[in-house]
Amino acid sequence: MASGTGKKTGRKKASRKAPARPAHGGRRPVRARRRQRRWRRDHLRLALRIVAALAFVAGVVSGRWLLGLDQTVRERFEGRRFRVPSRVFSAPTILYPGFSAQRFDLKGQLLRRGYREQSGARGTPLESGRFRWSPNRVRVHLRAFEHPTRSEPARDIVMRIARGRVEEMRELPRGREVGAVLLEPEQVGAFYGSSREQRDLVRLEDVPPHLTDAILAVEDRRFESHVGIDPVRIAGAMVANFRAGGITQGGSTLTQQLVKNFFLTPERTLRRKLTEAVMALLVEVRYDKPAILQAYLNEIYLGRRGSTSVHGVGEASRFLFGKRAADLTVSESALIAAIIQSPNRLSPHRNPTVATQRRNLVLQLMREQERIDSATLAEAEAEPLGVADIAIDPGDARYFLDLLRRQLPEVYDSQVLEAEGLRIYSTLDLRLQRAAARALENGLTALERDFPGVRSEDPADRLQGCVLALRPQTGEILALVGGRDYGLSQFDRCAQARRQTGSVFKPFVYAAALDASAGIPHITLASFIEDGPLEVQTPAGPWRPENFDKKFHGRVPVREAIERSMNVAAARLGQEVGIDQVVAMARRLGVTSKLPRVPSLALGTAELSPLEVARAYATLANGGQRPWPHALEDVVAPDVGTLDRRELRFERTIDPGTAFLTTELLRGVVDRGTARRIRAMGMEGSIAGKTGTTDDERDLWFVGFTPELVTVVWVGFDQPRSVGISSSRAAIPIWVDFVSEAVGKRVRGVFPRPHEVQAFAIDPRSGALAAASCPSSRREYFLAGTEPRDICTFGGVRRAGDAHPRRRRGILDWLRGR
Amino acid sequence: MPGTPRRSRFRSTEAILLVVLGALSGACAALPGAPGRDPIHISELVDQGDPVRRASQRLLVEGLEADAAGADARAKGRYERAIQLDPTNPYAYLTFARFEVERRRATQARAWLDQTYALFDAAGGLPSRVEAHVIGLGGAVEAIRGNRTDAARDLERARRLAPVVWGDAYLSAEELL
Repeated sequence: MASGTGKKTGRKKASRKAPARPAHGGRRPVRARRRQRRWRRDHLRLALRIVAALAFVAGVVSGRWLLGLDQTVRERFEGRRFRVPSRVFSAPTILYPGFSAQRFDLKGQLLRRGYREQSGARGTPLESGRFRWSPNRVRVHLRAFEHPTRSEPARDIVMRIARGRVEEMRELPRGREVGAVLLEPEQVGAFYGSSREQRDLVRLEDVPPHLTDAILAVEDRRFESHVGIDPVRIAGAMVANFRAGGITQGGSTLTQQLVKNFFLTPERTLRRKLTEAVMALLVEVRYDKPAILQAYLNEIYLGRRGSTSVHGVGEASRFLFGKRAADLTVSESALIAAIIQSPNRLSPHRNPTVATQRRNLVLQLMREQERIDSATLAEAEAEPLGVADIAIDPGDARYFLDLLRRQLPEVYDSQVLEAEGLRIYSTLDLRLQRAAARALENGLTALERDFPGVRSEDPADRLQGCVLALRPQTGEILALVGGRDYGLSQFDRCAQARRQTGSVFKPFVYAAALDASAGIPHITLASFIEDGPLEVQTPAGPWRPENFDKKFHGRVPVREAIERSMNVAAARLGQEVGIDQVVAMARRLGVTSKLPRVPSLALGTAELSPLEVARAYATLANGGQRPWPHALEDVVAPDVGTLDRRELRFERTIDPGTAFLTTELLRGVVDRGTARRIRAMGMEGSIAGKTGTTDDERDLWFVGFTPELVTVVWVGFDQPRSVGISSSRAAIPIWVDFVSEAVGKRVRGVFPRPHEVQAFAIDPRSGALAAASCPSSRREYFLAGTEPRDICTFGGVRRAGDAHPRRRRGILDWLRGR
Repeated sequence: MPGTPRRSRFRSTEAILLVVLGALSGACAALPGAPGRDPIHISELVDQGDPVRRASQRLLVEGLEADAAGADARAKGRYERAIQLDPTNPYAYLTFARFEVERRRATQARAWLDQTYALFDAAGGLPSRVEAHVIGLGGAVEAIRGNRTDAARDLERARRLAPVVWGDAYLSAEELL
């Protein structure tokens, strides 16, 4: 029955579906159909299983993907979001009555710090960070300077100027007279990572509301209401793009822009857009709107400054307007918002007209969205762009930055310096640094022009040089130029090079001979030295020093011997004092390099760095107190405080009397000797120094100092070979160019004479004390008790016994109870 | 009354002698370095020297005022700038030495004091009105280091030179100002 019914049913169905019966009978097609059905069912099941498996795998993969994206988002948001390069700042500039506004280029200093000139009547208010300039009156509203220990308030200062000098300074509004004010430090450079991003972080609460309003008005008006993606905006962008026949408008929300900048590449693919949208949703789920907005304000790219990129509104405020984001006006805020779309194309420096149009568009959008009123719109639109001059990082301070980095404690490694946003305050005087860089380049270029033999077409083989200036009383390095082109060679010829010093070493020999700490000095300034043939036996054979002019000069006064840089006299003096004493004196002065204990050391065969030479001369300039040359003032971490600061260190290593007498000899070198070119070039005042030229004129030195500044100039080739020029011709013009720019042609101050040094009239021919009847006399200095005992009268010199009695106690000995 | 004129003569001679002695002691007190002479105040120096020195002294005065008001950071900043502006100003180092003594930092205080010595010495010696401060601060440094004998000796010398200021073995910012 069952089968019959089945057959019948099957037939009926078959007749309905397939009217043409196959020729091979009824039973076989039924079986085939059943098989077919089973096959279909099995395959359907298989397909379903595959789909289920695939769905499972896709679920796992997408789940993992989502989890991965979520983790990425959280890590970036909850960990350190930004790598902020640490910045290095110069020392502040101090303005005071008597300050030369002309020489110190006050206007340039203000402009470089981002101050802007503002016109207006005399009594009208002046914003912070602005100045008003007229020939005899300058008004500056100094910005506040924030520092854990050296903060300065904002001050409105008016200066009366006459003949290029500040005559008087008063603080407004009260008109109180002020003695000195500080211009905040200038940025010298920064320790960038490979991305070379500049960023100054801001907190949302420190940003004026009109800045966020301007950004939201133009970039994402529904930011407060959307969930990370904005379908309305996407639809609008699609319609606009369709009409334009290309991509003219983006539909990205501010969150999507942030996600793109934070995590993704700028490629335009569907996959990237999908990832961006999902991540934007995740960001919105995880974080509140203020956190997202703050991250955006700090991340957004806003243009280029030299070789670095400007990120975030904090940095952009400083870059464009030289002020903090908190101080931005409505118009300035609108400009920042305006350039987000295309910072380079809309750059107000390059395309001010386009930038103004775009800024006004932003202002109008703000008005349309009722973020500002009509009066504010009109006022802001009328405002000029007012962007500050671009202050490119002064590249010529990069040798200094390298030195500073080497002087920083080891904890400040690259990771820390390139990410932690530290503020590193240095000793650099940027005005002097620029002057040093200019003087070196001008000097070397002039030498190449005047002496074609030193010119080289190979950039790696060019004539090189170094200029280093430090303050002897504190050891602060004020300027350092370690070569002509940092881009070409980062080798610092001031601090890393060690070169033969030549005659620059001789003052150490004379200082050892003048030193009375062990009792009686070997010489006084009235002594004579024999400049005659000298032969010293050494393990390498006899050594016979020669003078530059290949002549011997016989018995010469000490002053003449050093003023004319006589080699044989210095070598003989070195032998008399003892090379060990000479080495000891060099060490006391601050030389740390290896010093060969050979007779020729007295003539400067030791290889020293310009930095240690500067330190040794600074000890002389500082009355025998040895300073520690340093480039760092302090390191400040944002929101933490001062992490490190240098403490000044001094060490009394030679008597003030010895330092003064050696300085006196070196004054003679400048007044009458091998460095007299300095006087011929118009420099006046207390200057001491020594030239140095090594064999074959390979190394050309001049070390000169005033009471407040020690400056070393070195000229030569990296691969030592003859320059063929004297140090007087090569190094002195660079020194004069720099020092006259730094301190003026007339230097300030005198080398103070210590209590234990006394002046006597002496007979220059005999070195005896000059009585009133002595035919000739000049004034000479002696440590108390070391003055000559012989007396010159009209009738000749009357000899006395002991020429060098034990010297008297100095005031230091007395005060220290010695 | 034979004795009366003689006695009156004696009294007048005595009076003259007293007057002369009084005048002499007054003159002695006014001589440089004489015990009891008022030691230097930085505010007296703001109009002395060239513009750089004057501005440096003004910064010191501002620093001392801040110091006296308890604004340590501002005070220190001012002292540093006074040195930056005029590194040869010995009073800047003296003022800094006092600042460090008050904070019991003997090493730094000694360094500043050494530089003070060096600059005054190089300029021809310690002015008499500075002597008490330099010696007293040296004594205070020794006291911080625990060298009681040296400290007592120097502080006693300072006290004898300037009893009003150094009577309590302490130099305040106001006293130096």
